[in-house]
Amino acid sequence: MLNASDIFSFLVFPGGLFAIFFGLILLSFERIAVARFQGRVGPPIFQNFFDIVKLRSKEVLFPSGANSKVFFGLAPVFGFVGMIVAISILPIGGVCIGTTASSDLIVLIYLMALPAVSHIMGGSASGSTYAAISVSREVVLVFAYEITFIIILFTVAIHAGGGEGAVFSLRAIVDYQLAHGSFITDLVMLPAFLAFVIFMLATLEIPPFHIAENDADVMKGYLIEYSGMPLALFELTHALKLLVIVTVLQVFFMPGLADVGWLLNLIWYIVKSAGIVFVIALIHASMPSFRIDQALKFLMTVPIALSLLSLFLVLFV
Amino acid sequence: MSSKYIIKSPWLFRINTGSCNGCDVELATTAMIPRYDAERLGCKYTSSPKHADIVLVTGPVTARSEPYLIRLLDEIPEPRVIIAVGICPISGGVFRDCYPINGPLDKFVDVDVNVAGCPVRPQSIIDGIAAAIGIWKERIEQFQEA
Repeated sequence: MLNASDIFSFLVFPGGLFAIFFGLILLSFERIAVARFQGRVGPPIFQNFFDIVKLRSKEVLFPSGANSKVFFGLAPVFGFVGMIVAISILPIGGVCIGTTASSDLIVLIYLMALPAVSHIMGGSASGSTYAAISVSREVVLVFAYEITFIIILFTVAIHAGGGEGAVFSLRAIVDYQLAHGSFITDLVMLPAFLAFVIFMLATLEIPPFHIAENDADVMKGYLIEYSGMPLALFELTHALKLLVIVTVLQVFFMPGLADVGWLLNLIWYIVKSAGIVFVIALIHASMPSFRIDQALKFLMTVPIALSLLSLFLVLFV
Repeated sequence: MSSKYIIKSPWLFRINTGSCNGCDVELATTAMIPRYDAERLGCKYTSSPKHADIVLVTGPVTARSEPYLIRLLDEIPEPRVIIAVGICPISGGVFRDCYPINGPLDKFVDVDVNVAGCPVRPQSIIDGIAAAIGIWKERIEQFQEA
């Protein structure tokens, strides 16, 4: 079943090398943008590469109070593998088609949850009290925002079916939008888009949703006991997660331009990704943090209501 | 060879050993305000000692804070550099020979850089961090050979 193009898409483009490079660049870009909004100069554009190289050279410590050293060591690998698989199955409109499987949208639900699972696993295995608090917050957040994501996903699938049942293939969703216009220009899908932006902030743990890994009250939470290479893997996972979420947003709502070459579409993809990260940085720089109960109440009402409104409009209007 | 890139990412960790908060205020503001943006050097405050590369210690090491200081220093992975910020960890300052003071800091750990002042000026903190990065580079090379 494996052929050369699958291996290429997993190791070089859009997964693997390209994803790690572009994800780290996006992460540094977000830091620079936040610094500029605060009137500072900010770090250099390759800052996150330096961080990864630095962490690789540091000593690796295992906490003596860890509940399970096996899970503590394995946890970062789960999130990393999940994200690198997710980016390799995602299509980029006009550039690459992703997988040829007909139900990869369902696979995406499971892959997108893996970084949160790895946080929960690593945090609860580390035996730290701060990590335990952070893990309990992360679990609450995951339950709140995954519902929104699944409703949006079904809304997009039904809308891309064009009245003939749902389509669970990412490639078919992109093709439908290239033929009929992007969903972001569709008024029916606007509430779902807003809900997706809120989901994006919650899953990336950007303020106001950085409750589970807040520096000030839980000391980086689940990451508190990690050092060296495992911490570098968590940083890489975070970079890939940013890229995956940004790409999923583009697949669902603004996949690309029809009738232009792959090069223009690739440049357009990079510009769109940078633009989305710029908006994320603006929200990051201007928002305080929610308390966990406020975040739960907000996530259980506003984005779910918006995405249900969109689902209702798609089904009955 | 990779130490050229590694020194562009020094992560800072603050330990307060009974300081009056004067130096801590300077540390907290120095890194983040537009005028002295330390993030240009790649610096970032970490909240876990296990992520730290450069340790900034303030305060004269009071009897109560001593066990916590020793435990925190044990948790910081090699290679690391330790900076004494302010006159208190260097010599005890005005609290020298007081009954609750177990300092100065170099009784417990080898201090690499002293940044004097009461409180320290932001410029001298950044100067101290720059000196610490130089020492850290040598230490990385030794650590990689070992």
